[in-house]
Amino acid sequence: MTQPFNGSLLRPDFVPGEPVERHFSDVELVWTDDEQKQIATFRSQYPTNDGAVMKVLWLAQNKFSWLPPEVVQFVADTIEVPYAKVYGVATFYTQYYKEKKGTYVLDVCTCFGCQVCGGYDILHYLEDKLGISKGETTADGLFTIQEVECLGACGSAPMLQVTNGPYVHNLTKEKVDALIDDLKEGKMPAFESVTLPQDETDLGGNRRSDTELVTEYQTPPVSETLH
Amino acid sequence: MADAPSLITGETKAGDWRNYERVLLPPVKDLHKIDVYEENGGYSALKAIVEDGKFDPKGLTDEVKASGLRGRGGAGFATGLKWSFMPAVDPEKPRYLCCNGDESEPGTFKDRQIFEYNPHLMIEGIVLSCYAMTIKTCYLYIRGEYIDYVNHVQTAVDEAYASGYIGQKILGTDFSTEIVVHCGAGAYICGEETSLMESLEGERAYPRIKPPFPAQSGCWGMPTTINNVETLACVPLIVNRGAAWFAGIGPEKHPGPVLYGISGHVNKPGVYEFPTGMLITDLIEVAGGVRGGKNIKAIIPGGSSTPPLTWEMAREATMDAETLREAGSSMGTAGLCILDEDTDMVAFTRRIAHFYHHESCGQCTPCRDGTGWVEKLLSRIENGEGYTRDLELLLEICDQMEGRTVCALADAAAWPVRWGIRRFRDEFEARCKAESFVSSEMGDGASTETESITI
Ligand SMILES: Cc1cc2nc3c(=O)[nH]c(=O)nc-3n(C[C@H](O)[C@H](O)[C@H](O)COP(=O)(O)O)c2cc1C
Ligand code: SF4
Ligand code: FES
Repeated sequence: MTQPFNGSLLRPDFVPGEPVERHFSDVELVWTDDEQKQIATFRSQYPTNDGAVMKVLWLAQNKFSWLPPEVVQFVADTIEVPYAKVYGVATFYTQYYKEKKGTYVLDVCTCFGCQVCGGYDILHYLEDKLGISKGETTADGLFTIQEVECLGACGSAPMLQVTNGPYVHNLTKEKVDALIDDLKEGKMPAFESVTLPQDETDLGGNRRSDTELVTEYQTPPVSETLH
Repeated sequence: MADAPSLITGETKAGDWRNYERVLLPPVKDLHKIDVYEENGGYSALKAIVEDGKFDPKGLTDEVKASGLRGRGGAGFATGLKWSFMPAVDPEKPRYLCCNGDESEPGTFKDRQIFEYNPHLMIEGIVLSCYAMTIKTCYLYIRGEYIDYVNHVQTAVDEAYASGYIGQKILGTDFSTEIVVHCGAGAYICGEETSLMESLEGERAYPRIKPPFPAQSGCWGMPTTINNVETLACVPLIVNRGAAWFAGIGPEKHPGPVLYGISGHVNKPGVYEFPTGMLITDLIEVAGGVRGGKNIKAIIPGGSSTPPLTWEMAREATMDAETLREAGSSMGTAGLCILDEDTDMVAFTRRIAHFYHHESCGQCTPCRDGTGWVEKLLSRIENGEGYTRDLELLLEICDQMEGRTVCALADAAAWPVRWGIRRFRDEFEARCKAESFVSSEMGDGASTETESITI
């Protein structure tokens, strides 16, 4: 039996010359007026067409949620650069999704700052909880778990990021449980401002009046796996 | 110099740091809003220069040189000197500034605080730097994972445009500069300067061979300067308070305020602003000491690329480039990671190796293959399947990676492994099987029959 098409650009069943399964029709592959305006701005920001490729890929991913070949082609046509070039860029970066992911992608950081603070505990807890391994998607298509490299929040380790969006800091198992419950109800975590320890005496621990959610850098929990 | 006095004295070089007043992230509520920033003296450096002519471009570059400011992006190169490498203005050739906010070095999370809490200081620094080098376009490259901060910074940039601090005819003068915010998409290598330029150009972000250096041929082949976010944020401070003030903070050869990102096993992790030259012990003290009152095993002084120091080596050292070099590491990004006595150094080193293997762009064989083999060998040692001779093999692979590649990622990957093994060898050996194998008889040496044959 041939493997079902998983949407990957590097499909194992690729046969040259045979029609490719499409996920988006020509009717769907159009930009709105507002998006076209944005694209015009992007193109004006760089001296060559190619410069806009990353921004237009982001726009496409936010619109279509991932980048199957026909979307890559659509982007290539939009900015008038060859498909191969856009494909090269799309595959170079980890945040561009070349295959379909779950509605919520949980990017758990296990890089060393998080590792020594229990990053792997969080990853394994999530894997057990959702019944999948990293890199996999739950059967209901809701969650994908990925192991990622340092996300630049090592002081509030362990942490994760939800679908290239908000960070969730200072993770504990309880916090993971609450996050999953919220996501199942369609509630994305809000932006969380992590305050500076030196502001505690000077500013009462918060220097922004325009954020709802504030958290401190916290002492990480003692890791189970590393010790 | 053979008999220069040791810099590792156990004395702070940060002066009266307990009474230090923060300048990069001063304690002002809502400083990220342009009106609050202006009320607190914001954009006065820009006005002093473009309106009152406090410095001409050369004068500003000289002032930055005199301040002793060194890059905060990792390499610690003198900023004023770097600026002076830009060739004379050629009206035919556009020139670019890149502000490096890629911040992907594990252990580093300081630029994020500038994006969130004081973005206008960075923007003012960018415009001043453009003035010093007669540059009309700056690309501000922020890593894709920081999307919330990208939007936040974009708001600040829009505010600055609306107030006439960026754009055409800044503050009604003849000076014009544009800032374009560029969002990455998840690749550590884009922090490397030439890779960042490839990324901006819409190519796969493969670093370029140097020379030519960016000042000669950078973005789109044009003269380009690249600086870190924190480096550029220091520029308005230097203009406002003078080079002498800046040079007077911390040790002479590496002065100024620094954002120390402290993570790992401390009671109060986070980003702290202090002068350069802080004793590592003082930083641990302000960060609340070690969790659970444990002893410290190791310190990573400035992100994953800086060799780990044992506590013995770190306890008298200060955080400045010269002292840390003598101590056996480097300043890097000043992102300290404190590891307590229970830390498994083998697992730790293996995780660093995994990072570099994942992030190698794959252009150079020693890096692409070397990082992979290093990770494999370390994993097998971590799992108790390794042999003592694997340690020699690891060191040999490190030899073959360092200095043989297009960019410094391969060196950065080799150092923590080399120095991790040298400095924590007992721990590595304890995980290894001492037995070796007789190659002609025993194949790959992994079978149990080889257990009785020792080296
Ligand atoms: C593999 C690699 C990754 C780097 N990542 C970053 C980074 O994320 N942020 C940064 O500012 N500099 C990074 N650098 C250093 C830059 O190449 C460059 O030296 C720096 O941005 C110059 O700014 P500075 O002189 O202000 O420090 C990296 C270098 C290498 C070799
Ligand atoms: S050293 Fe590694 S990351 Fe740098 S160019 Fe070579 S392969 Fe790419
Ligand atoms: S190591 Fe996880 S955020 Fe830096």
